[in-house]
Amino acid sequence: MTAEVAAAGTPASTTRRPGRRTLIVGTIALAALALGVGTAYFRGGGSDATRDGAALLALVLPDAQGQPQPLAQWRGKVLVVNFWATWCAPCREEMPQFVAAQTRDGGKGVQFVGIAVDDPEKVRSFVHEIGLNYPALIGGYGAIELSKTLGNDLAALPFTIILDRQGRVAHTQLGPLKSAKLDELLVRLLGAG
Amino acid sequence: MRLLAALLTLLAATAHAEGVASLAPKLLPPEQAFRLSARALDAGTIEARFDVADGYYLYRDKLRFTTAPVAAGDAVLPPGKPKHDAFFGDVETYRGEVVVRVPLAHTAAGQTLTLHADSQGCADVGVCYPPNPQQLTLKVPAAGGKPGAFVEPGRKGWFK
Repeated sequence: MTAEVAAAGTPASTTRRPGRRTLIVGTIALAALALGVGTAYFRGGGSDATRDGAALLALVLPDAQGQPQPLAQWRGKVLVVNFWATWCAPCREEMPQFVAAQTRDGGKGVQFVGIAVDDPEKVRSFVHEIGLNYPALIGGYGAIELSKTLGNDLAALPFTIILDRQGRVAHTQLGPLKSAKLDELLVRLLGAG
Repeated sequence: MRLLAALLTLLAATAHAEGVASLAPKLLPPEQAFRLSARALDAGTIEARFDVADGYYLYRDKLRFTTAPVAAGDAVLPPGKPKHDAFFGDVETYRGEVVVRVPLAHTAAGQTLTLHADSQGCADVGVCYPPNPQQLTLKVPAAGGKPGAFVEPGRKGWFK
């Protein structure tokens, strides 16, 4: 949203050079409009959900073996993107339930993807330890900044975003995703075809 | 104009946060969950403190302190509470007030020092914060002088 507002304000400030006061009032009006529109869309699962989903699907990150993996390869699936790290105990504790859900619902069209805010070496070690059955992409500490643009204002982990089959953000979760909540979301999103 | 940009960022953040099914409203930002302050005790010693809010904890082995331009020796960390971590093995955590002594490699009498502190912690509700580098500036007393006042890191932010 911030980027959109900045972009919208730029032409007015460069082309016609209005008075400073006009400019400020104009920018505030624009911002208020953008805010109102943005909030309305978000509530209705519209623009923000679509834009954030598209931003995620546009990512290409290396996996634990160093191979670049575009998230777009999972377009059309119910995509559960989990930001995690080995230094985050609550993250590690919730991952076995993701492994189980991937096994149970993978064939129905769900794809879990982990984005690790961590070093590849530690990630490989943990992936091996718990027998992770979905991709562990390496985001490094930059992934925290990325998650902030997707609503993780406190930059804390775990942080999980679920996209529906149309690539829209259907759920965003800071902190562990309770097993019952995950199941309910997957039933709803997979059922929606 | 910067103020306006800050306001917009705030509004945008508020709008965004509405959609996050989360613990966010109940959680403190890391600099408030783990409040750092420090003072120069004497010309050769810095005292750093973390005031850890209820419901939060810091990892002992993630604390790092360095100083410049006069370098620091090894920080003297109090013992923490042992905790078994399934992946990292036995670790120690801190709650409440943590007082650390950072000896300087040589005297810095009358100088201005920068203290860099790295820390990492979590909240009991089930989230962890990434490693948090912070820094603050300390005035070191003259040889034999009184300890300096406690200083906190500058506010990170929008209005600077």
